[in-house]
Amino acid sequence: MNALKIAATGMAAQQMRVDVISNNIANMSTTAYQPRVAEFADLVYQQYQTPGSLTSQTGSVVPAGIQIGMGVRPTTVSMEIVQGALSETGGDLDIAVSGRGFFEIIQPDGSSAFTRDGKFYRDADGLMVNSDGLALADQITIPNDAQRVTISQDGEVVAYFNNVTNGQTIGNISLNVFANTKGLEALGSNLYRETEASGAPINGTAGTEGIGVMRQGYLEDSGVDVVEEISELIEAQRGYELNSKIITAADEMYSATTRIR
Amino acid sequence: MDNAIYTMLTRQSGLMREFSSVANNVANMATTGFKAENGVFSEYIAQIEAGSTVPGSATSLSMGRLGAHATDLSDGGLQMTGGELDMALSGEGFFQVRTPNGERLTRAGHFMLNQDRILVNPQGHTVLGTGGGEIAIPQEAGSIQVGRDGTISADGIELGRVGVFTADSITLRREGNNLWTAENIQNVEEPTIASGFLEQSNVNPVVEMARMIEVQRHYDAGQALLDIEDERIRSVARTLRQ
Repeated sequence: MNALKIAATGMAAQQMRVDVISNNIANMSTTAYQPRVAEFADLVYQQYQTPGSLTSQTGSVVPAGIQIGMGVRPTTVSMEIVQGALSETGGDLDIAVSGRGFFEIIQPDGSSAFTRDGKFYRDADGLMVNSDGLALADQITIPNDAQRVTISQDGEVVAYFNNVTNGQTIGNISLNVFANTKGLEALGSNLYRETEASGAPINGTAGTEGIGVMRQGYLEDSGVDVVEEISELIEAQRGYELNSKIITAADEMYSATTRIR
Repeated sequence: MDNAIYTMLTRQSGLMREFSSVANNVANMATTGFKAENGVFSEYIAQIEAGSTVPGSATSLSMGRLGAHATDLSDGGLQMTGGELDMALSGEGFFQVRTPNGERLTRAGHFMLNQDRILVNPQGHTVLGTGGGEIAIPQEAGSIQVGRDGTISADGIELGRVGVFTADSITLRREGNNLWTAENIQNVEEPTIASGFLEQSNVNPVVEMARMIEVQRHYDAGQALLDIEDERIRSVARTLRQ
C-alpha cells in the first residue's frame, strides 16, 4: 500500500510551502526583497494498465487504464519578479531602482554579487559601500569636503562643494540585467550571484531600454503581499491536515488488515 | 480456497489502489495544473464449473475490480500571481514542451526565460509556439504582454504565440512532472489564456475526504466479511472433526 508514502510526500510539500511563506513574511520589511513561490509537480506513475493497450483482437483499447501516482515533489522555489513600492527616505545615498536592474557589489573574495538594495553609505575613505561595508563595483569615492551629492536617473553622481556653483561629476553608477532574473542564486544579505541559468550580467546605463531608472532618496520596499501570503498559509495548513488525515486512514486500514487471522 | 474469499480479496486490493489514488490527489492539492483522477470499478465475471451440461446450471462468480481510471479534466481555479509569463489555460487544451524524451503536454503554465531568453518551464523544457518552434524574447524588450490567445508581445511588437493543443483524450497518459503524453495532437485555433494567473489543482478536498471515508468503510466491511467467512470455515472444520 502506497498511500502512507504518498501522503508523506504531500505533507513534505505543504511543509515546504509553509517554510517559503514564513520566509516571505519574515522579509516583509526587507528592502527590495523578492517574494519566493514554491511550485510542485506530480511524481512518477505506476502503470498497472496502460491506456490505449489492446483489449481484443478487434482493436478495442483500454479507454483510461490504471495509473497510480506516487505523490508530489517540489520543482522550484522561484522568485516572483515584482517591483516593490518606493518609499521616500530622503537619504542622499539611498537609491531605488525602478525597473529590472541590479547594482554590482564587490564581495570580500573579489567576486561580484548583485543587489537591488540601494541603501549605501560612505566609508572612512569616502567610498560608496552597502550596509555590510562592501563596495559598489563602480568605485564611487565621495570627496570629504563635498557638501551634498546628487544621483541622476541615469546614475551620474555629482558632488557639490561650498562656494562653487557647478557640481563636479565624480562617477557613474551602472546597472546590470540578466537574461533570466529568476535564475540568480540568492546569497542572503540581499545579494545574488549569477549562475548558468541566469546568464552573464549585461552591464548598462540606467535609463536605457529594459534596465530601469534610479531614484535618489528612495528605497524599494519588499515585494511581499501579506494578504496573499496569509491566504496561502491557510491553504498550506489545511493541505497539511488533509494529508495527515490520509495517513490516519491508511493506518486504520493497515490495522484492519493485520486483524485478519 | 473458497470463492467468497477470492471475491473479497479482489475487492480489497481494488480499494487499496483506489485509496492510493485518493492519497495522490490529496498530495497534489497544490500542484499547478494537476487533474484529479478517479477510480472506476468494473464487474469481472468468472465462469466456474464450466463443464456443466445442464442448461442454466453453470455458475458464475462476479467480482468487482478496479477496471480503469477516469481523469477529471475540468478546469482548476485560477490563482493570481502577477507573473508576466504565468499563463493559465481555461477550457480544453494543453501547452506543449520539448523534453529530452520528446514532446509532452502540460497544463502547468508557470513559464520563465532561460539564459538565452527562450521561454521554458521550471524544468527547463522549451515551450513550443503554435508552429512548433521556440519563443525567444529579446533582451531589450520592455514589459511583456501575453494576449488571450497566447500572443506574446513587447512594446507592441509580436514576438511569438504560445501553442495550445488538444489530443485524443483516450490516449492521454500521465508521466509525472505535470507532463502528459498523447497521440493525435492538434492545434487549438482560439485558446483562452489568462496571463498573470496559474491554474490550480482541480482536486476538490471535500470530495476526496468523502471518497477516503467511503473507501475506508468499504474496506472495513470487506475485512468483517473475511472474518465471518474465516469463522464459518473454522466452524465447518470443527463440525466435521466431531
